[in-house]
Amino acid sequence: MRKLSADVVVVGGGATGSGVVRDCAMRGYKAILVERGDLGHGTSARFHGLLHSGGRYVVADPESGAECARENAILKRIHADAVEATGGFFFQIEGDDESFADKFIEGAKIAKLPYQEITAAELLKREPRCNPKATRVMEVEDGTIDGWQLVWGACRSAEAYGAQILTYHQVTGIDVVGGKVQSVRCLDRKSGEEVVIDTAYVINCSGPWAGQVAALAGCHDVNVVPGRGVMVAMSHRLVNSVVNRLVKPADGDIIVPVHTVCIIGTTDVKVEDPDNLELPRAEVQKMLDAGELMVPGFRESRAVHAWAGARPLIKDDRVDASDTRHMSRGMAILDHETRDGVGGILTIGGGKLTTYRLMAKNITDVMVEKLGDDRPCRTDQEPVPGSENGKNYQVSHRLHDREEDRLEDQIICECELMSRKMFTELLRANPDASFDDLRRQLRLGMGPCQGGFCSLRATGIACAEGGWSADKATAALRLFLKNRWIGLWPILHGDQLRQAALDSWMISGTLNVESLPASEEVVL
Amino acid sequence: MSQVIVIGAGLSGLVAAIKSAEGGQQVTLISKGLGGLQLSQGTIDIHEQGLAGLESPAPHPYAAIGAENVLAGVKYLAKLLGPEFLVGDAKKNVYLPTAVGAIRPTALIPPSMAAGSVRDGAKWLIVGLRRLKDFNASLIAGNLSRLELPGGGSLSARALTIDVVAREGEVDSSALTFARAFDTPDFRQRLVAAIKPELQPGEAVGLPAILGVKQHDFWRELQASLGCEVFEIPLPPPSVPGMRLNEALTAKAKALGVRFVLGSYVSGFTAAGGKLVSVTVATTGAPQEFKADKFIYAPGGFESGALAMDSHYEITEKVFGLPLHGVAPVEELILPDYWDEQPVFKVGVSVDKQMRPLDAAGKPVYANLHAIGGIIGGAIRWKEKSGEGIALGSAWAATEGSENV
Repeated sequence: MRKLSADVVVVGGGATGSGVVRDCAMRGYKAILVERGDLGHGTSARFHGLLHSGGRYVVADPESGAECARENAILKRIHADAVEATGGFFFQIEGDDESFADKFIEGAKIAKLPYQEITAAELLKREPRCNPKATRVMEVEDGTIDGWQLVWGACRSAEAYGAQILTYHQVTGIDVVGGKVQSVRCLDRKSGEEVVIDTAYVINCSGPWAGQVAALAGCHDVNVVPGRGVMVAMSHRLVNSVVNRLVKPADGDIIVPVHTVCIIGTTDVKVEDPDNLELPRAEVQKMLDAGELMVPGFRESRAVHAWAGARPLIKDDRVDASDTRHMSRGMAILDHETRDGVGGILTIGGGKLTTYRLMAKNITDVMVEKLGDDRPCRTDQEPVPGSENGKNYQVSHRLHDREEDRLEDQIICECELMSRKMFTELLRANPDASFDDLRRQLRLGMGPCQGGFCSLRATGIACAEGGWSADKATAALRLFLKNRWIGLWPILHGDQLRQAALDSWMISGTLNVESLPASEEVVL
Repeated sequence: MSQVIVIGAGLSGLVAAIKSAEGGQQVTLISKGLGGLQLSQGTIDIHEQGLAGLESPAPHPYAAIGAENVLAGVKYLAKLLGPEFLVGDAKKNVYLPTAVGAIRPTALIPPSMAAGSVRDGAKWLIVGLRRLKDFNASLIAGNLSRLELPGGGSLSARALTIDVVAREGEVDSSALTFARAFDTPDFRQRLVAAIKPELQPGEAVGLPAILGVKQHDFWRELQASLGCEVFEIPLPPPSVPGMRLNEALTAKAKALGVRFVLGSYVSGFTAAGGKLVSVTVATTGAPQEFKADKFIYAPGGFESGALAMDSHYEITEKVFGLPLHGVAPVEELILPDYWDEQPVFKVGVSVDKQMRPLDAAGKPVYANLHAIGGIIGGAIRWKEKSGEGIALGSAWAATEGSENV
């Protein structure tokens, strides 16, 4: 058993938890974040990558739109290296409710949202693939954001302020003594060791799993209603700006260009279990239809991968609706002292990635106030490590890097231009990582071949330079191939099915991977 | 002289073209790409179960092709290319190492792979090249050493990684670049110098499949210089052993007067009286019409685009719109578990004894259209290791099979 202590334990390594641990650490608390999988393993990366301008909310809720606009500007600065400032458009198509465009303008003015109305001709000049039947168009400051880069950036910043980040640590118990939180017990899933963290405070940022975590402290019936959203990535950027339909928010009305792909989202279906998110073909079809409407030809373009995320909506009738001081739009903070008589634990739910920093500030403010401290939030004031130069990345950044080092280094993943050095350096820093863990930071296997060529290379390098046994490396390869398929089979058709045949010729035909003996080592 | 059109430049198309030309027919081979051989492992697979696999029941392609045609086709190819290219016995599988350290069953092999046929007690030095990223000696040796061999026993393999440069100033060289370098004495000398001091008595040396593009016996010189057996291990594409076969077969076809129309796809066709009359080829400038008496369609399967599934999950054969066998709702064709067999890849045409695609009533769609190789449904070739056997057997059956009058 390992013993640790902290002023505050943050549960959950998604955007909110990463934001909270950074905020706590910057305010001088000794903070530890525990995450049962890898950082950005859940909802925070299973989204479409949109950094909201606020335009999506200005009609229904201008204040929410204003909040997005403010946070958008902050994230572009503090997470500069995670953001591509693509800009975006909201556009109507012949037949859409024209009054919605007027309502948009009205809401945008209230929210003080930067926007301008442009002509359909201008839209088609800048995004030639958009539906030529476009009518009214609003240009906004949408961007795209890499959820993993954001989460890692926030955590690295937290570490610089003394926080500890413990991934693959699953909370197994929260000890409450005399009505107050005393310690958090975890299982280190990689080593199997029990870890006990003495702490007076727990901030539960586990999103769709928040009810399960709160229950460990005896706080029951936190009603989390996970809403499943399906996203489909196309193999290249059909648009280079975010394009939104200028209608009442609905399913599949956004296409977001992120890195080398573009992503359409999303759906919203209530589900029971956030650990078992289906990817129904019917919802994939819905996305393809919706994409076709915005970008004709979308359907027969190449879909490369799909995923589902669970929105962490908390519907709790015991939330004090009159207490709006600490509430951000669409988010809920539960104080379990007043709710359940358990002191030292707060739960947060809802929200959106664009406002993650604000959510973190709000819940940290609650803790600070309850502790009777006076420590103001500074998370909007300094960039996270890697973003100091304030430059947002461009889609061509890796091409630039490879042009620089192509004579000194190999390209291991051609689709995503990942070099050997990028892989070996991250592997050295995370020797227990799975290929999926490395993928989240490197984009290994995320391009059109979906691991067909690069997974073998990664396996070999892990073996030769990472000190992995062939047994372990093979287990990791198998897991990676299996996991890639989870996001492949629901969208498989057209050129990606053709690719799957080629990949099978290599992996099964030439290499006969399936015949390798089972590994003794287990890779998580 | 009767006219034959072959569509497709993979193993089955090339062999059918050569066989037809040898029979005195005037052959035109039309191909969109380079053909699938350079994507292959460069050996001749028949079936993982050996001869028993040839008895696979319908709808497996072997049921229509027949074991005797498979063996005749394989024998024909072996004779055509000679022992410089292929050795072994079609009736007996050998197991060769793969670039991930597994072993795979295959029948005929290039002589440069023969020493890699696994046997109990073998001692191997697996040699990787630092600048060739598709072959990692540690992984291969590690996995080979933990295998139990078919028939029992094990082998011991250890890894050596050397940095022998194929092209000065380049750290990311392809297998083809290395193979071209291997054709030069200087590279081979450097290779020997790097391996020889590390070699232990009794070891055979396994190298990535880069042992020459143009010359096919320099590997023997390497054996002599190292004083031990040497073998090469196939890599993911580009496949040098596949290229060697492709070049040899293409040269034979050209020598026999086969006319090649490359880089062009078949965009249409005409038919009359139950027979194909012509195909239209989208050549540069303007489409061109090619008439023939016999058409041999050897386009491959999903991997080549000859079969395609659209976004509504409808599967079509792209040139002639042939009826397909094995079609089912997508839920039954593409399954959620990666390790499951994916039935979609069994979809293809079904054929009669002369390899003529059949309609739903079991009648040939066109009396003079024969489909061979990967377009025939009923087998997942990469899984059961039967790609070349089906290609050769069907090419034989379509050109000179006992049933083909």
